Amino acid sequence: MTKDEIVALTNRVFEESFEIPAEKLTPQARIFDELGLDSLDIVDLIVALQKQFKIQIREDERVRTIRTLEDVYMFILTLKQESEQARPAGS
Amino acid sequence: MLSVLGLAGAVEPVFMAANHTHRFVFESEGRVFDLPCGVAEWRRALLAEFPGDRIAVDRYFDRVETVRMHTPGMDLSRLTEPARRLDEDSVSLAAVLDGLTDNALLKAVLCGLGMCHGVKPSEISFASHARVCFELYESTARLRHGGESLIDAFADRFKALDVDVRTGSWITACGDVTDDRVTRFELNTGEEVSAGSVILTIHPRQILELLPRGHYSKAFAARVEAFEPSAGFFTVYGTLDDGPDPDFGSTIVSLFPSLDFEAMLSPDYRGEPALVIVGSLDEANGAPCRVVTAFEPSFFEHVAPWKDSLTGRRPPGYAAYKADRVAAIRRHLGRYDRRYEERLRVLDSASILTFRDYLHSPEGAAYGIKQKVGQYNLIGKLPIRNFFAAGQSSLLPGLMGAMMSSFVVTRLVLGRDTVNRLTSTPP
Repeated sequence: MTKDEIVALTNRVFEESFEIPAEKLTPQARIFDELGLDSLDIVDLIVALQKQFKIQIREDERVRTIRTLEDVYMFILTLKQESEQARPAGS
Repeated sequence: MLSVLGLAGAVEPVFMAANHTHRFVFESEGRVFDLPCGVAEWRRALLAEFPGDRIAVDRYFDRVETVRMHTPGMDLSRLTEPARRLDEDSVSLAAVLDGLTDNALLKAVLCGLGMCHGVKPSEISFASHARVCFELYESTARLRHGGESLIDAFADRFKALDVDVRTGSWITACGDVTDDRVTRFELNTGEEVSAGSVILTIHPRQILELLPRGHYSKAFAARVEAFEPSAGFFTVYGTLDDGPDPDFGSTIVSLFPSLDFEAMLSPDYRGEPALVIVGSLDEANGAPCRVVTAFEPSFFEHVAPWKDSLTGRRPPGYAAYKADRVAAIRRHLGRYDRRYEERLRVLDSASILTFRDYLHSPEGAAYGIKQKVGQYNLIGKLPIRNFFAAGQSSLLPGLMGAMMSSFVVTRLVLGRDTVNRLTSTPP
C-alpha cells in the first residue's frame, strides 16, 4: 500500500467517522488542538483505523506519541510494512 | 472484593470438592478428566494426563499466570496501577493453542472452561480467556442459599450506609447537556432526578441509546454497534428425588459431545450441545434438597421465530421448542448418570428469550458482549463526561468481571487516593 493510498483512506476515516471537513485534513493538522479529537476519541480512532486498514493496532507507546495527521499516516505506513514483512513469502 | 465492601462475613461460600472441582467428560473420546482446585494442581493433573505434551501444558499455564500477573485489575492491592494491553490481548486462544500442540484432546481440555465466557476459541483473546479461567482454576464456590444471599447482603449494607436502591425504574431521557455533562434525568416513572456522576452497567447498545445525540462521534457509535453477543444458555432447573447420593453437589460436570469448541459455540451448530451440570445441596421447607441446574449453550438464532413475543404470551410453537429441548437434556443427563434418568424432577426451564426478558440482556446473552481479539470495550469515561461504563460487558464477563469493573470505575469517579484508602482499610 502506498503512502498516498494510506493518506486517502485515513482522511476518509476522519471525514466519515468524525465528521471533520476535508479542507481541515492537512498533514500538519494537530488532531487534538485543530481537529477537535480528545483522549476518549483515540480509542474510536484506533478501532476505525483497524477496520479501514484491516490491521491490529495496540494502544501502546507509539499511539501516545501521535500529535499530527502526518503522525497518523506514518504510524499506519509502519504498521502496514511490519505486517507485510511478517507475512510468509508467497502468501 | 467482598471484604473491601464489608460483605465478607455476610455470605457463605460453599467450595466444590478440592480434588475434583470440575469434571470434563469428552463423550466422543470416552475420556473423563477430574480436575482439581488450584492453578498448580490443574497443571500437575494435565502434565500427568498428557505426558507427551508436557511443554505445551507448562507453556499454557505459564502464559495464563503471566496474564494474571500483568492485569492490575485482578488484584485489589494494585488496582490503581494503570492497565495496559498485553501481547495476549492481541492473539486468540485458538492461535495460542495451535502454536502449542496438535493434540486435539488437550486443546479441548484447555478450552473447556470457555463455557464460562461463551466465545469461540478463534474469537476470544488469550488474555480474556486467561483472566476468566485463572480464577476458576483457583477455586470455584457457590453461595449458600444461592444468589439471593448476595442480594440480601448488599441490601443490608446499602441500608446501613443509607443508600437508596430502586428497582424497576430507569432513565428515559437526559436533561440539557452543559460542558459535555448531564446532571438531570427523567425516569420512566415521570420523576426527575439529579446526579453528579452516573455509572451505567447496562448493555453498551443501551448506553448508546441513552446518550444525547450530537455528543458522540460516528466512530463511537460504530464501535458500539460492532459488539456481538456472547453465547447464552438453555437451562433446566430441577431436583433429584431422595436417594443415597454422598457425592452430590461437590463437582461441576461438563459433558462435551465433541472436541470442536469452535463448532459447539456457533449458533449454527446442529450436533448435540455441550451440557454443564451444577448440583447443589440446599434446603427447601427445612428439608435437604438436591438442586440440579443443567445448561446448554444457546443463541438468539434458536428462538428467532418468537423474538417478538412476550413472557406469558408466547405462541404454541415456543412451548414445543422448550419441551423438545428439556426432553433432549433429560436424555443427555440420563446417559451420563442413570440417577438423572430415574429421579430428576424438572421444575422449570429457561430459554434465551427468558433471559432476555427477565435479565434485560439484549439477545439473551449470558456474558454480555463477546470479548474478541483486538476489541476495545466501553469502560470508564463516556462521551458525556460524568457518565461511566461498568458491568460485565466492559472488562470481563461474569460476576467477577462486573465487580472488577466497578472497582476500576470507582477509581475514576472518586480518585486514586480515596480508593487506595478505602481498599487498604476495609470496614
